[in-house]
Amino acid sequence: MRRILSTVRDGRGFDIVLVGVPFAFLFALAGLPLIYNILMSFQEVDMFSLGSFIRPFVGIDNYVALFRQPETWPILTNTLIFVVGSIAGQFVIGFGLALFFWTNFPGASWLRGLFLVSWVMPGLVVGAIWNWILSGDFGVLNFFLRESGLIEGNIFWRSDPIFSLWAVVIANIWLGTSFNMILLSVGLSAIPGDLYEAAEMDGANGWQRFWTITLPMMRSTIGAIIALGLIFTLQQFDLFAAITDGGPNNSSNVAQYWAWDLSFRQYDFGRGATISVIMTVFVMFAAAVYVRSTRHEVRG
Amino acid sequence: MTQQIELSGVNKYYGAYHALRDINLSIPKGAFVALVGPSGCGKSTLLRSLAGLETISSGDLVIAGERMNDMPPRKRDLAMVFQSYALYPHMTVEQNLTYSLRIKGVKKAEAKKAAEEVAAITGLSDLLHRYPRELSGGQRQRVAMSRAIIRHPKAFLFDEPLSNLDAALRVHMRKEIRALHDRLGATSVYVTHDQVEAMTMADHVVIMRAGVIEQQGRPLDLYDRPANRFVAGFIGSPAMNFIPARTSDDGTSLILDLPGAPVLAMDLDLPPGHAVSVGIRPEHLSLATADMPGFNVPVAAIESTGAATFVTTETTPEIVLVLNGRSTVSAGETIHLTFEPKNIHVFDAGSDQRIEVGTVLTQAKTAS
Repeated sequence: MRRILSTVRDGRGFDIVLVGVPFAFLFALAGLPLIYNILMSFQEVDMFSLGSFIRPFVGIDNYVALFRQPETWPILTNTLIFVVGSIAGQFVIGFGLALFFWTNFPGASWLRGLFLVSWVMPGLVVGAIWNWILSGDFGVLNFFLRESGLIEGNIFWRSDPIFSLWAVVIANIWLGTSFNMILLSVGLSAIPGDLYEAAEMDGANGWQRFWTITLPMMRSTIGAIIALGLIFTLQQFDLFAAITDGGPNNSSNVAQYWAWDLSFRQYDFGRGATISVIMTVFVMFAAAVYVRSTRHEVRG
Repeated sequence: MTQQIELSGVNKYYGAYHALRDINLSIPKGAFVALVGPSGCGKSTLLRSLAGLETISSGDLVIAGERMNDMPPRKRDLAMVFQSYALYPHMTVEQNLTYSLRIKGVKKAEAKKAAEEVAAITGLSDLLHRYPRELSGGQRQRVAMSRAIIRHPKAFLFDEPLSNLDAALRVHMRKEIRALHDRLGATSVYVTHDQVEAMTMADHVVIMRAGVIEQQGRPLDLYDRPANRFVAGFIGSPAMNFIPARTSDDGTSLILDLPGAPVLAMDLDLPPGHAVSVGIRPEHLSLATADMPGFNVPVAAIESTGAATFVTTETTPEIVLVLNGRSTVSAGETIHLTFEPKNIHVFDAGSDQRIEVGTVLTQAKTAS
């Protein structure tokens, strides 16, 4: 006992305790639910069996049934459009803003700080504000599009099946741009200035410097941002709840919202869990990319 | 000889701060010019202005006969070796070397061949596929040099390239850079704060202080005839000793303000009682036997490097002298010093400018 105590105080035991505490925490609050979720996807779960652990095992029936549903593929396609559209928009606008503030004009850092405002706003509030902006009859977005002659009549962003998904994408781009901008700004400022001077002396013009110095030096930052963006967009839920509720007729429904709908509105917990498992696979892929890109640092 | 770089009346302002003041400098083709001075003297600003990384506020900057004042760096055809080396970390050594060629659109095979040729000169042949992070400091330095060489530029600009290396490697690279310069027949401008580097490497040394060129010329000319007290104190290690002095009442000799020091008889064109500063280098002072003319000073400290002994005297101002080899002198002792009168320098106490003197004679008699 004394030996154990002394190794905890100043030996390997202390290291094990340090690692063990967060590990136990992670296992209890992330690992167990994950395993439980995977387990549920192979069981038949309803309101009555929810409380018990032993439930009828159905093998891959949940998966088979899920992919037989007519709405499954459209919803997965929506998810893909939502993820790609959001990440592309957030990244391009965020990178543009980061490059803009990088020029370091007077007040640049102050103004950049203001952009973080979108970050402190709860998703539901953001959704409510975008509801007003996107509103078909009196929305300010329609007003600007109409006045600038881009559209003839009003677009009913939230209730038109063609536009409903894009309404959420637009709001999500707004929500995630500042996060992208901040991370990319950090990446940009970490590039030593003398590399640009050396490249300039070597005859590279601005465009060539961007492609041969800035982009390759930002590789790990960009990889991390895209991976994090994938995770954040796959967990985006508030905006769907606030703006379209997945409708009309699933036209703006995505996997994460559908999983919640199946589990907590239709009480088909088995299928809800099945969708979660499918999403987990994608997120793990993103996590692997993220870990790889942060490990692959080229600075030195 | 054709002038490769010519600066006339160049000024540079940062807001109200006057960083370069009326710089006039001609660099002939093939010359190795060192810009030297204490930190903040403007030597790096001058080099960066040549490179085009800074724009000059007024004056003319001509490179190979073409006025370059407003030309961006990439069109000046100068190569620069940075203090930090500024190697592209995401490129291999070969890619670093060929970067400028690839930007120019040189064919891949041709660029590769050029890289191999340069690498053979600088001894990097085995390292072409390494990344900068896998190289030692000295190797990185070579890559930075090779990246400049491969371009055959109009001139090489060096910004304190050796300051990140250890002392032994620095001495070695000094010779190597100079040998490379001679071999390539290049024109080089070399910024350093180390006067030894400047003196040993350059054909022409430019000494700067506070944005002004204090003096320029051949290294030994600067050593032998410093134009002012600043240059006199800057060139030479350990630094020159300065002893306050004034002209005698009859104006024919200098009386040093140092107890026991000799009176120096000379041709002077100065009024009686005029204050001056007499400079004498530590290596020009020597020990004398008691019967020779000289003066007595007490010793405060002894430092020996084995090859030389540095003696500091217990006087105001203190005097440093260098003796070859080892010495039996110890602290607290009184020593008898002498010097060749031709080795002294006289500077005006007010303007710090050099005063030319005729033949100097030391008199045996000591001042009272």
